[in-house]
Amino acid sequence: MNSHDLSIVYNGTIIEEDELTIGELCQACDTNTEWIICLVEESIIEPHGNEIHSWRFSSASLVRALSAFRLHRDLGINIAGIALVLDLREEIENLQTQISLMGVNGNGHKLVSK
Amino acid sequence: MEFKDYYKIMGLTRDASQDDVKRSYKKLARKFHPDVSKELDAEAKFKELGEAYEVLKDPEKRAAFDQLGVNWKNGQDFKPPPNWDEGFEFKGGGFNNNGGNTAYSDFFEQLFGQAGRQPGDRHRQSFQERGQDSHAKIHIDLEASFQGATQNITLSTPEVDAQGHVQIKHRTLSVKIPKGVKPGQHIRLTGQGNPGLGNGQAGDLFLEIEFNNHLLYRVADGDIFLNLPITPWEAALGAKIKVPTPEGFIDLKIPANSKQGSKLRLKGRGLPTREPGDFFVVLQIVLPLADSESAKTAYRNMQEQLDFNPRKYLEG
Repeated sequence: MNSHDLSIVYNGTIIEEDELTIGELCQACDTNTEWIICLVEESIIEPHGNEIHSWRFSSASLVRALSAFRLHRDLGINIAGIALVLDLREEIENLQTQISLMGVNGNGHKLVSK
Repeated sequence: MEFKDYYKIMGLTRDASQDDVKRSYKKLARKFHPDVSKELDAEAKFKELGEAYEVLKDPEKRAAFDQLGVNWKNGQDFKPPPNWDEGFEFKGGGFNNNGGNTAYSDFFEQLFGQAGRQPGDRHRQSFQERGQDSHAKIHIDLEASFQGATQNITLSTPEVDAQGHVQIKHRTLSVKIPKGVKPGQHIRLTGQGNPGLGNGQAGDLFLEIEFNNHLLYRVADGDIFLNLPITPWEAALGAKIKVPTPEGFIDLKIPANSKQGSKLRLKGRGLPTREPGDFFVVLQIVLPLADSESAKTAYRNMQEQLDFNPRKYLEG
């Protein structure tokens, strides 16, 4: 790497709740519109906006769509199965967050007196 | 180069049938799939499994692998014997068809790489095509979301060279972390994904934000939580306590008769996202030990003075 590379700082933009169009989501997941529409119909991802041209997707949709694609490709799970897997995973993640918030402080010590 | 025992990776013996191979793959794939598994090295294990399956499910590759003999141990230093693959014809089929860019281990590449890939496949095309978007995760500190920061990230991309070998290219980017980003969100870097074909433009790079564990705070969505240990008398009588927040100390009023685990909300003091999150102080009442005569007296006084029975509902 030369010093020129080091000096470049790339500016990114945050993807907000109502950011990605269906075209951008397709590109980001390297998939086609039909697949994305299937995901929406199964309510695996939920866009803002009423009709397909005004649909806008969030970061969370991007994460779920990518997972859905991999689960289908790698494990051959059908669309209903994917929805179930992702919902259960989300529930587990929520429970884990709650556990981490309960009774244990930041550095992992239980809050008890000594 | 390390020897990979594909049978061991798949939990099989050498006499496993093709059906066994398939069943074992399905079972382990569910266990280690990175989108389902909570195991730390799930991604690496899933890759290894995919590679093992790639070889064992294909009778030609499996026979070639079997020919290496049974004396090799997983992880052992390995050099293929000369002309080991003589008489085998690999059709080059059966590869995971995800762009031909899957990174297999050196071991796999050495055995099946050259025969299995079409050299320069992707470069033969003369039409224009936009490059694929690529994805990576970036771990940031909570403070970066408050102040903004510049952080380096090293990306590893498998690339197929002219001889058909896959090589991992490393590239380090300095990325500006915008203020107000929260876990699970993405930062998009336009044009930093895979290069386009012909004159096609490059794809975008999506960085998924994860937060490093913080010594004091927990983050859930845009909200920040702090566990605050307090004394029983602070909880009972109320108090004013100095409390840290990512933006500095504040004086927090604890209301009288606060209960264990109750949350005090400081609106808009969470992550500075587009709609700012809240800051929650979770009260943790800590009991002092009765480890001195005066402490014991204090507890005995409480016992005498307070008509307190927390188990009334158990008494039927």
